[in-house]
Parts: sequence; C-alpha cells; structure tokens
Amino acid sequence: MRHLFSYIITRVLLAIPMVFIMLTLVFVVLRVMPGDPVSAMLGGHAPEKVIQQKKQELGLNKSIGEQYLDYIGKIAHLDLGESMIFKQKVSQPILEKLPATLELTFFGLLVSLAIGIPLGALAARRRRSARDYGVRFYANVAYCIPVFWMGLLLQLVCGVFLGWFPIAGRTSPRVEVSAFSRTGFYILDTLRTGNIAAFGDVMWHLVLPALTLGIVLSGIFVRLTRANMLDVLKSDYVLAARARGIPERRVVYNHGLRNALIPIVTMLGLQFSLLLAGAILTESTFSWPGMGRLLLERIYLRDYPVIQGVIIVYTLFVSAVSLLVDLLYAAIDPRVKY
Amino acid sequence: MKRLLILLLVAGLALSASAVWGQTLVYGTTDKISDIDPANAYDFHTWEIFYNTMDGLVGYEPGGSTLVPALATSWSSNAAGDEFTFKLRKGVKFSDGTPFDASVVKWTIDRNATIEGDPSWLITDFVKSVEVVDPYTVKFILKNPVAFFPKLVANPPYYPLSPNTFPEGTKGVYVKDPSELKGGVLAGLGTYKMTSFKRDEEIVLENNPNYWGKEPAYKKVVIRYFADATTMRLALEKGEVDLVYKSLNPSDINDLSKNPKFTVFKNQGPFIRYLAFETSESVFKDKMLRQAITALLNRPEITQKVYLGQAIPLYSMVPNGMQYQKTTFKAAFGDGNVAAAEKILKSLGYTKDKPFTFDLWYSPSHYGDTEANLADVVKAQIEKTPLVKVTIKSAEWATYKQQWHDKQMAVFFLGWYPDYVDADNYTAAFAGTSGSIGNGIYFSDPQWDALFTKEQTSTKETERKAIFEKVQDMWVDAVPSAPIFQGYLILVSRKGVTGVKIGPPMIFLYNQLKPVK
Repeated sequence: MRHLFSYIITRVLLAIPMVFIMLTLVFVVLRVMPGDPVSAMLGGHAPEKVIQQKKQELGLNKSIGEQYLDYIGKIAHLDLGESMIFKQKVSQPILEKLPATLELTFFGLLVSLAIGIPLGALAARRRRSARDYGVRFYANVAYCIPVFWMGLLLQLVCGVFLGWFPIAGRTSPRVEVSAFSRTGFYILDTLRTGNIAAFGDVMWHLVLPALTLGIVLSGIFVRLTRANMLDVLKSDYVLAARARGIPERRVVYNHGLRNALIPIVTMLGLQFSLLLAGAILTESTFSWPGMGRLLLERIYLRDYPVIQGVIIVYTLFVSAVSLLVDLLYAAIDPRVKY
Repeated sequence: MKRLLILLLVAGLALSASAVWGQTLVYGTTDKISDIDPANAYDFHTWEIFYNTMDGLVGYEPGGSTLVPALATSWSSNAAGDEFTFKLRKGVKFSDGTPFDASVVKWTIDRNATIEGDPSWLITDFVKSVEVVDPYTVKFILKNPVAFFPKLVANPPYYPLSPNTFPEGTKGVYVKDPSELKGGVLAGLGTYKMTSFKRDEEIVLENNPNYWGKEPAYKKVVIRYFADATTMRLALEKGEVDLVYKSLNPSDINDLSKNPKFTVFKNQGPFIRYLAFETSESVFKDKMLRQAITALLNRPEITQKVYLGQAIPLYSMVPNGMQYQKTTFKAAFGDGNVAAAEKILKSLGYTKDKPFTFDLWYSPSHYGDTEANLADVVKAQIEKTPLVKVTIKSAEWATYKQQWHDKQMAVFFLGWYPDYVDADNYTAAFAGTSGSIGNGIYFSDPQWDALFTKEQTSTKETERKAIFEKVQDMWVDAVPSAPIFQGYLILVSRKGVTGVKIGPPMIFLYNQLKPVK
C-alpha cells in the first residue's frame, strides 16, 4: 500500500512538468501568432489610443518574458487568470462547458468499447472466416473515417432521413434547462430532479454525437482486442482449458477475453487524448456546447488565458486518466505490483 | 436495457407531445454575438438582438426604408440643419421599470461617446452635444449640418439605455455579457427582454410586458447558435428550428427552395463585397495596378460560380437600388476585360517573363464557407493574363483585422453592412481619410474629403446627387476599392412561419413574425 501511495505521488509530481511544458508551448505559440485579443475585440474602427489603452490594461504591451512570468505566477497560485475578451474568470466558461464534454467523451468511450471489444473477440474466435474479414474491414474503415464526416453521415441518415434523433445541441429548445440544471451534467441533473421528459430529451440528443465518436474510436479497439485475443488463444493455459473439456465459448470469453483485456485497458489511457481530440470535432459538427467549441471560439478571439486554461484542463485530464488506468492495471493484473 | 429504451421512448414522445409550437419561435444562425453593449458592438447579428430588445427614437417601417416614429413621436431640424429636436413618447418604461425620458437619452449618448468603442464614430463624428429641453424633448446639437442625421439616430449606438442597468461611461470599458450589467439582466425598451444568455449556444428572448407597442405573436424566441451551415440546414429539415438566417451555403438555399416544406425569403440586401487595396504603402500604391486588377474581375461569373446566383454583380460601391447609384465600373471596365488590363500592365513594363505578382488575401470563415472558392475564382480570372501571377493567402479573422491594421495585406476581400442606408456610408467609409483607415485602405485625398464634407452637410437633394455621381466617376480612376457583388438577404423558414419582413436597412424584427393558425 505504501508503494502504491508513493507511486501515485510520483505520478502526480511528474504531471507538473508535463503541464508546465504544455503551457509554455501554448503560451509561446499564441504570442507569436499574428493577431491579438485587442484587434479581435475592438474591430477596425477603434481609435489608436483606445487600442493602446486596452493593450496596456491587458498587459499586452509588456515583453513576452514578463507576460510569461506574470502568468506562471498566477498558475503557481492555482489561478487560471481572467479572460481577455469577457470579464470573467477563466474557470467560469471551463466549468460551464466541461460537463458537456465529459458526458460526450464518457458515452463515446462506452460506445467504442461496446462495439470494439465484442467485434474484436468475434473476429479472433472466427479467425480467417468471412466474419473476421468483415470485422477487420469495418475496423479499418472506422479508423480511417474523419470524425466530422461520420457525424454528417449520421446526422443525414438517422436525423434527417429517418428522423430518429436530433442533430444539434444538448437539449431541445423548448426544454427549460434552468428547471433542472445545477451541475451542468444534464443526465445526472435530470435524474436528480426526476424530470423524466427532460432526461429522455438529453439522452436522445446524446445518441448521435456519442455514436459518432464511439464508432470512429471503435476501430482501434476492434484491432487491439483481436490481436490480443489471438495471442492469448495460443497460450498454454487456453490449451489446457480446452484439454479439460471446457466449452469453447467459455474458453474464449472467460479465459481468453479477460486476459486479452489487460493491454486494452492500458491502451484506453493512451486513447483518451485521441478521444478528447475527436470530441472537439464532434462538438463542432453537432453544435455541442462543450470544451472543444469553447477552445475553437476562443482561438478565433485570441483569448489567450482561456485557450491556455482549456489546454491545462485537457492535459490534467489525460494525466489523471493515464494514472487511473495504471492503477486499474494493477487491480486487474495480479502480476503488476507497485 | 429494454426498460431503459422504453423509458426513453416514452420520455421522447411525452416531450414531443408537450411541445407547443404556437408561442415559441426557434431561430437558427451561424452568426455570433459580440458585446451586449451598443457602445462597442458593431456587427450585424448583435445589432439585430438590439433591434428586438431595445428601441430607437426613430425606426424604419418593417421591411421598408422609410423612417417612422418610435420612441420619438416627431422630430424637426433647424434651418441650418445642425440641430435636431425630438419629441419623446410619454409613459414608456424599460423592462426593468426605469422610466424613459430625455435625461436617459442624453445619458446614453454621453456614455457611448465617452466609451469610444468601435461604432462611437457614428456619434462623435456628428454630435457636438445633447440638451434636455424638457423631460420629453431632447435636442441634438451637431458639429456640422447632417442631412441624414435621423438615419443615424435609428442605429443602436443611439438607442436609449437604462442607467439602472448599464454602467456609467468610462473610456474603453463596455459590457460584454449580460452578467456584467447591474442586476445581471439586459433591460431594454424593445418588444422582447432577454431572459437567458449562453454565448455561442443559445439566447432566449421573451415578451417585454413594458413595451409601448403591440404585443408580438411569438411570446418567446429561442436563438440557437450553430457551428456550421450544414448542421443548421439539417436542423431546419429535421424541424429542430423554425427558421434560419445567416448564413446558409448557396447550394443549401437552392435545395431548400425546391422543397415545398420551406419558404425562402429572398430580398436584395444592402450588403456588399469588394476588393480592398492598401493604397498608401503596398504595391497597389500605383492606381494603374488597381485599375488593371479591377478590369480583370468578372462579376457575373463570380455570382454564378461561387454563389450559384444568390448574389448580384455590383458596379459601384453604392449598392443597386440605392439613391445616387451610378454604375461607373461597368462603363469603365466591364467584366473580365483582359485587353484593358494587359494594356495597363504592359505600359508599366510587365511581361510574360516578368509578371506582376502579388498575394490575394481572404478570411476563411468570417463571410461564410464560400470564401475560399471566391478567392480561387478571382485568382483564375486575374491570371487569364500571363502578365499577372497571384498567390492566394488566408488568415483567420482576428489575424486578418490585425494585418489590415498593420498594412500587411496589399489586396484583400472585405464586406460591408451599412451603418445607415445612405450613399455616404458606402463612399466616405472607404475613400474618406478616416473611414478608409478603418477598412485597411489608407486612401487619403483632400479633394475627396472636401466632397464628402460637402455632401454630408448639404440638405439639397440635387447637390448631393451631383456630388455622389462625381465621386463614383472619380472612383473608377482612383480605385481605392473595387466592388464585386451585392448579397441577397436570405431567410428560410418552415411553412408555418409568416410575416418575414427585412428591408434595405437589414432590420429583422421578430415581432412581425406570426405562426400559421
């Protein structure tokens, strides 16, 4: 237990330089890019003296080094700063948009696992059969399809032609979000307030974005599961299980799949960053009001502190999920000890 | 799992059954809202929100361009035309209950002028001071006579604001979000009051019980913000929004116009697109080069190829249908006039082996998804002569603005939504010394400035006509900018929505809309 605790502490400490490096990179890239928040804010007609005054107010007249030190000083006090465009703390829009992104990524991940693992196992079990080739073909196609294209396809087919699901936003315009929203996690909020109609509406809106993200990522999990299953199915203990006369189905799913899942859990952590990247495009396609759209909007406005804040949150999430996965790895694989 | 699906199905059905369409209008747009403050907001969509949540002393008749009384019941000017007196409507209150009177008008104008925001020139260039004559009479004393002053007053920077909602004026300090207002809610004098604001996501407007005019048919308007035109079109087809406005892709408009479920409202708008030349330091300092490039433009080809007929070729900076327009570019250059361009270029020493080269800039999303196509088509038109080589470059809007401010783009695409519907706003804004700086043109000529001052101060129609015609004649010689096309105002609604009226000032009033019973 002591080892586990020190492992966690080490990993958390290692995340600090990672965030620091990311932050520095983003900070420098934003400042060397042409355009600045003042020109985005004031437009072309503002008098030069107002432009200069605004630059001074925002500290943009200082050297990049000074701006960087100011910013790092704030971060050291766990303060993400204030938006340069809107009078609000950086944490405000992030806290508003984060629940939407987390709901989407969570369900996107569930869909990708729900599709990827059974299909991968099926392909491994029926190796070199028509089903195997079919599943492998699906995996390659899913992996190659751009997220926005998949989103458009689902919008068109399931939304417009079939009329099954809504294609934009988190709720219908006629749903009073203020009646139930407290945490921003609409699924939890609607369940907590017992608003079944709104819960149905929220879930209905989540279907296509989560499917889009899930299908695209499922390709990776299909391939991973299949490859791991094939290795596991060749191992001695599977041979021994078969020799003992255990039914093939049980051998494959109880002995084979459970062991094949261990490396998949590792990959889960690595895929999380891909999931967040995919979520940015999915949010754009479905007008989903999450962190991805916030990031894009604020890039257009050159709202440096918010862009940096979003990147920090993304980095922290990837680190946290990666740590969680490592801990989970120890829990499901008895050979791993910390 | 089965239970969950049944639950979802029941919930979905319950929701659709409970949707009462009559009272709520859902409106989709790809536009963005900027600052909730008329002192700094200077964009089409934010002004539209102000038209519906605030009110002016004067307004335009819905769908037309005639000025009509609004918060002022009448107005008059002195003989010199440099003082305008407005008689105000009595008994009017803001949605926060603040009474409206002449002191509010004066407070607003002083505040907005002090802030010196982006549109402040609409006040400070013209107004010397505001006087409260009595509680319901206000006088504007102008720096010079301004013939079109009532048209200026019809703009949001002149809209009265509640002193109990908006903060006092401080230079460079303005309201971005309603949360920064006193009370945290936007209070206005318009048909609607804003009850919910989620930037880039959704705005909810509800009937303002204190509004002095008629109650709207739609008691609630939900504005949904879409990240792209394709999703917005699909949402309309799916029935998630009742109408969409700004901006669908031209191909989507053509498709929807063939679908009997939708009504396409199409009207010639005062929105123009043009090529801006940086005339002070760039390679286009030489007016002959500006003339040559302008001669190569083929406007009908652009409107057909890029906009699929959803735009009209434009041969003057003053738009079609507007008073004083003279289509001088048609007579001077025509379209795709390679011979004329080559003659100029050869006289300047350019050859096939030593062509004139320059970068043509566009901004990829600010004017819709067609911008890259526009740049491609214009490049192909210009390169019809081997004497010119064009490199297309693009920059996202914040960078684009910075670059034109810093004179880093020699020639670039821009668009113009008028501040007031008058030829002055289509000419002085591009070729007057101060106006042209704001648009990155940096054109300055005392003769032109004198003409603009004269037309701005003249109250004689014939004199103004003569000046504008002269300016348009001079434009084809100096070419500070080259007009390309004029846009249509296009709004698509489902069949159940009627009453769409959008006139030349591009004012879209939601209180004119009615559901079909």
